[in-house]
Amino acid sequence: MAFTKTTSGATPSSTPGDQPAIRRRRSQWRSSPVLGQIAVILALLLLWELASHHLYNPFWGSRPSMIAERLWELALSGHLWMHTSTTLQEAGAGLLLAAAVGVPVGIGLARAPRLARLLDPIIMGLYGLPRVALAPLFILWFGIGLISKIMMSFTMVLFIFILNVMEGIRTIDQDQLDLMKSMRAGKMYVAWTVLLPAVVPWIMASFRIGVGLALIGAVVGELIGSNRGLGWYVESSGGQLDTTGVFSGLIVLMILAMLANYLIGFIEKRMIKWR
Amino acid sequence: MALMANVNRADRMPMSPTPQPAQSPRAELRDLRISFPLPDMSTLEVISGISMTVAEGEFVAVVGPSGSGKSTILRALCGLLEPSGGSVLVDGKPVSGPPPGVGFMFQKDALLPWRTVAGNIRIGAELGGVPGDRREERVASLIKLLRLDGFENAWPRQLSGGMRQRVSLGRLLAYQPSLMLMDEPFGALDYQTKIAMGKELLSVWEAERRAIIFVTHDIEEAVALADRVLVFSARPARIIADYKVMLPRPRHMRSMRGDPAFTRLTEAIWSDLALPE
Ligand SMILES: Nc1ncnc2c1ncn2[C@@H]1O[C@H](COP(=O)(O)OP(=O)(O)OP(=O)(O)O)[C@@H](O)[C@H]1O
Ligand SMILES: [Mg+2]
Repeated sequence: MAFTKTTSGATPSSTPGDQPAIRRRRSQWRSSPVLGQIAVILALLLLWELASHHLYNPFWGSRPSMIAERLWELALSGHLWMHTSTTLQEAGAGLLLAAAVGVPVGIGLARAPRLARLLDPIIMGLYGLPRVALAPLFILWFGIGLISKIMMSFTMVLFIFILNVMEGIRTIDQDQLDLMKSMRAGKMYVAWTVLLPAVVPWIMASFRIGVGLALIGAVVGELIGSNRGLGWYVESSGGQLDTTGVFSGLIVLMILAMLANYLIGFIEKRMIKWR
Repeated sequence: MALMANVNRADRMPMSPTPQPAQSPRAELRDLRISFPLPDMSTLEVISGISMTVAEGEFVAVVGPSGSGKSTILRALCGLLEPSGGSVLVDGKPVSGPPPGVGFMFQKDALLPWRTVAGNIRIGAELGGVPGDRREERVASLIKLLRLDGFENAWPRQLSGGMRQRVSLGRLLAYQPSLMLMDEPFGALDYQTKIAMGKELLSVWEAERRAIIFVTHDIEEAVALADRVLVFSARPARIIADYKVMLPRPRHMRSMRGDPAFTRLTEAIWSDLALPE
């Protein structure tokens, strides 16, 4: 008959309500790793630069100074923005479309386990399919414009959303749902107060994983058939044995992925304060 | 005045549905049976024929060994669980799905981690039909009652186990149920807070006279708070004793503990639990 799990020191005057107010914000900047991260990147670039002068012919691996020069030229001519914005649009639209379709489908499947079981082999089959291989088909169906790349990004990311959201709903504490039921909460109320908040972290995680995949989708689409975009630029530079061009494209892609990740991390912190 | 604990052994005097006046009891179980399917295709009989009634405004405590089916009975009363036999009535109507006016405080607090203390309590007010312009006031007064002042905007992860339980109690009270099902509501509280919360619960109950079924492992707590104490046997659960607590109200925790009637009753329940038939 154990019932005394004490919550505070047992002096008669201290009720738990008297405890000091809570520190709500954890310090973010004091142990910020940003400076260290930048230092590591600069050191690596320096090593690369030195290696290209002393260890190998820059024809094969280019060098940071040449890449910087190229990026500068591309920026001045407006080509940098054209390619970058094209790829961004394709990947961004694919990512958002995947979220818009994947989240409701995931919630629906999680709430209808019979249907989910029925569709399980199909979903897992499509998920397991190397969707990169769909690129030629999409080019055939949707042409070499924006749509085929959006569809590539979309198919790359869609299942991430569906599966994550399903898992998120599955991990909801049954007691929370029963409690809502015991108070006769309506479906919409439950969706709004329990289901949606519970899956927000899973949606954010899907965005995190999805950014990279959406870029892959867009770039693969561009490699196979297009006339613009970072993937196209990499591909056409490669065709001309222009390694500096290839690396310039790759580096812009890397920076995009990095920035998108930061952006999502930022939004995540704003949205999930309760963790 | 001699205070007598009226000992009414159920094994000698079977619980028949006591004749009620015209008004139906708040809650009634008639020969309730509940069993769960086990993975090996057999069934686990948890409740094998329990009958009991809870009158309007009555405070009934339930004690019994762990795993005997106390939580299960509350779930059945709240319509979260389909009985395998017998019937469950709330306000005279057979239960199918959660009946209106029944609030359930779970053994686990089941707080929503993405809602603050105030936000979690507000859920009770929202679902209990407290009008929009009165909700904040209601939430604030409950926060005060439960000594959670200063923590209105804290997230559940920032609370101690006992504080979480108090928030869960706040949500229940905000819902304003006419029948409160409370599953070890003070199980995670320290002694002082537990006594204080018991007092608050009694004052809320005395003011509003809502029927309460209060599951606890603490015999003294059961006797101190309730009008009746039901003692459950080990699984499959039956009611082995039904004690009427004749202690006067309002109850004073300190003086009551020295009362011979109090001691006699706790002793009797203790021996019921220690020596299951
Ligand atoms: N959904 C379920 N499926 C199978 N068995 C269950 C289920 N729920 C409860 N049981 C079983 O029913 C029995 C009674 O459970 P219950 O939770 O009602 O006990 P309790 O009296 O509340 O115990 P405690 O005091 O430890 O909380 C237990 O043996 C438990 O294993
Ligand atoms: Mg229990």
